[in-house]
Amino acid sequence: MEKIKVRGAPKSWQRSTSPLTICPGCQHGVVAELLCDAVDELGIQGNTIVISGIGCAGIDAFMVDMDAFIMCPHGRTCDVATGIKRALFGKPIVVALQGDGDCIAIGAGSLISAALRGEKITVIMANNANYGTTGGQLAPTTLLDQVTSTTPEGRDPGLAGYPAHVPEMLVPFRGVAYAARGAVNTPANYQRTKRYLKAALQKQIDNIGLSFVEILSACPANWHRTPVECLKWIEEKMIPEYPLGEFKNADRID
Amino acid sequence: MTRGEISIDERYCLGCGYCVHFCARGCIVIPGDRFTTMGYLLPVFINLERCNACAVCAWMCPHQAIEVYKYVESGQNEPEDISSG
Repeated sequence: MEKIKVRGAPKSWQRSTSPLTICPGCQHGVVAELLCDAVDELGIQGNTIVISGIGCAGIDAFMVDMDAFIMCPHGRTCDVATGIKRALFGKPIVVALQGDGDCIAIGAGSLISAALRGEKITVIMANNANYGTTGGQLAPTTLLDQVTSTTPEGRDPGLAGYPAHVPEMLVPFRGVAYAARGAVNTPANYQRTKRYLKAALQKQIDNIGLSFVEILSACPANWHRTPVECLKWIEEKMIPEYPLGEFKNADRID
Repeated sequence: MTRGEISIDERYCLGCGYCVHFCARGCIVIPGDRFTTMGYLLPVFINLERCNACAVCAWMCPHQAIEVYKYVESGQNEPEDISSG
């Protein structure tokens, strides 16, 4: 009998000597793992530039070992991604790895401008329904009646509005080639989300338009639940509000 | 039946318990008296006979602390990587 390795960290995963700085049970590590897996399977590790803003999603960028990773000001990730893509004549594969606050709160204008211009970049948004880094405040993606540190009695739509559905919002934009939403709460959803990420990166390789993938991820520290209860909460509360699936898959843009 | 084995790296494990939750065969437990170097509860691989190297624990581990190995007969070709696709 011989022992062979079937699964370890992905090839493009950056192994540091210390533990990651994410909280126990935080699924940003899984989001970065999915990106690494998709990049490895497409064979574009040496040609991929990952750009990340401020926030918990910024930690993801430290986990990837690709051509380069670049940190940028909060909410300006799509702008910096556009600049890099254009300055290098469209050669690199540019991935904007964002959190929900970075993508749709502070960076909403950047995302919409990039979608209007039809930039050939891939935007990944990890949605944990609050601002994780600063202590769990209300974010645009917070669910109705969800308790956060700034809505202690639950999100009231009359006061704080309704949750933002980003992939559905991007569907009418003509510059958007791909919009999908996945989750990583079960192994089945994990594999499905990996397919979405590969399809999104393929759209950029084929030079079609902006591709967007939202990934629902758990935040046990700010939801005040154990990690396994968080997965149940995603299944029961988040997925009914944010349905999974592909919303747009265009082969060409007229 | 395929037999497998996993190794959990104590340096990276933060004790979230996803591996215990997702192991369909009950091969991983958190005994409660073992700790990582950071002070988190350490999961332990206990059931060598039942593990079939499905690698779901390694997929779902956010910190990439788990490596999965599979036992094959000597001389066989390397099997297809089950992590892809």
